[in-house]
Amino acid sequence: MANLKEVRVRIASVVSTQQITKAMKMVSASKLRRAQGAIQQIRPYAEGLQSMVGRLVSGLEGSAAEMPLTSVREIKRVGVVLLTSDKGLCGGFNSNLIKTARRFIQDLPDDQQATLIPVGRKGVDFFKRSGLPQDLRFKDLMLKIRYQATAEMAAELSKAFVQGEYDQVVVIYSEFKNPVVQYYRVMPWLPLQAESPSASTTGPGAGAGQGAADYLYEPGREEIVQDLLPFSLAIDLHKAMLDTQASEHGARMTAMDKATENAGDLLRELRLQYNRARQAAITTEITEIVGGAAALAG
Amino acid sequence: MALELQVLTPEKKIFEGSVVSVKVPGNDGPFEVLRDHAPIMASLQNPGILEIKDATGQQTRLRLLGGVVEVLHNKIVVLSPGIGEEQG
Repeated sequence: MANLKEVRVRIASVVSTQQITKAMKMVSASKLRRAQGAIQQIRPYAEGLQSMVGRLVSGLEGSAAEMPLTSVREIKRVGVVLLTSDKGLCGGFNSNLIKTARRFIQDLPDDQQATLIPVGRKGVDFFKRSGLPQDLRFKDLMLKIRYQATAEMAAELSKAFVQGEYDQVVVIYSEFKNPVVQYYRVMPWLPLQAESPSASTTGPGAGAGQGAADYLYEPGREEIVQDLLPFSLAIDLHKAMLDTQASEHGARMTAMDKATENAGDLLRELRLQYNRARQAAITTEITEIVGGAAALAG
Repeated sequence: MALELQVLTPEKKIFEGSVVSVKVPGNDGPFEVLRDHAPIMASLQNPGILEIKDATGQQTRLRLLGGVVEVLHNKIVVLSPGIGEEQG
């Protein structure tokens, strides 16, 4: 039977662990709420932008393909943006993202060279010694997600794409479904894909005006598209980052919930053990006293 | 039907409501949108001042960091990546 004191010490340590996991779960729950709020906030803008770009591009197929940000060319160098969290203790969240990235890079044809662009410390740490070429300029962006910073990153990467540093850029992120479910996704980001014409009829600003032909354009249709495409890229990236952030908190909440539950199970078992040990000790003591008394009386 | 204005940024909805007129800082020069303005899409100056006048005659000025405006069927949508501090 286990030593009484030992069991007592273990119980105390499990109790304090449980308090920590419970607190972390609650902190994640409130951070998750805020992260979900942020996703809600960008929705009107993102949808408005998407429908506007859709309407602008729909009548413009020929020349849209010639714009630098949409130009499709033979792929030699691939930029892989990997979004992970800065902190751990969120179950398999980061390792799943990293796994997705590794699989993506391994599956590239031999003549394509990948450059990793990690955002978030977990991805940075994992690939530190991998020997892959890396661009570490944006690694701290997950710390505090601000649109301004994301837009700058988008602009830098677009520039690299236009200058031929990359022929394709993908973003590996986690799509937030609900607190328990995340989808790990590889989003083709550059070259920007021309919106399908159907996109033009959705969104809030679409109204009844199907024909885009009756618009006035200032300065010109193509110039406006040129202006809008960087916004479109930035918002896609921003959305991926917000989704990843929400997924992180969701995953941590789930993991901590499980941990709290496990600690509870463990405690129940330890308490049983403790009481058994205590009873055994008492029984032994009584037997000793009775034995001693009997010896005296005899 | 009144003139409806929406000013949206990635971080939040800045303005939504009925207005009488909006002065827009277009890239090719500022212009004013009143009721029944022709459909137009225009890119905006960075920075540029958006002047909103509502039915009570009250004016609001917003400093936009570029963006684009779309006017269609008395509905104005201003999309801007960011907004500076508001001024009287």
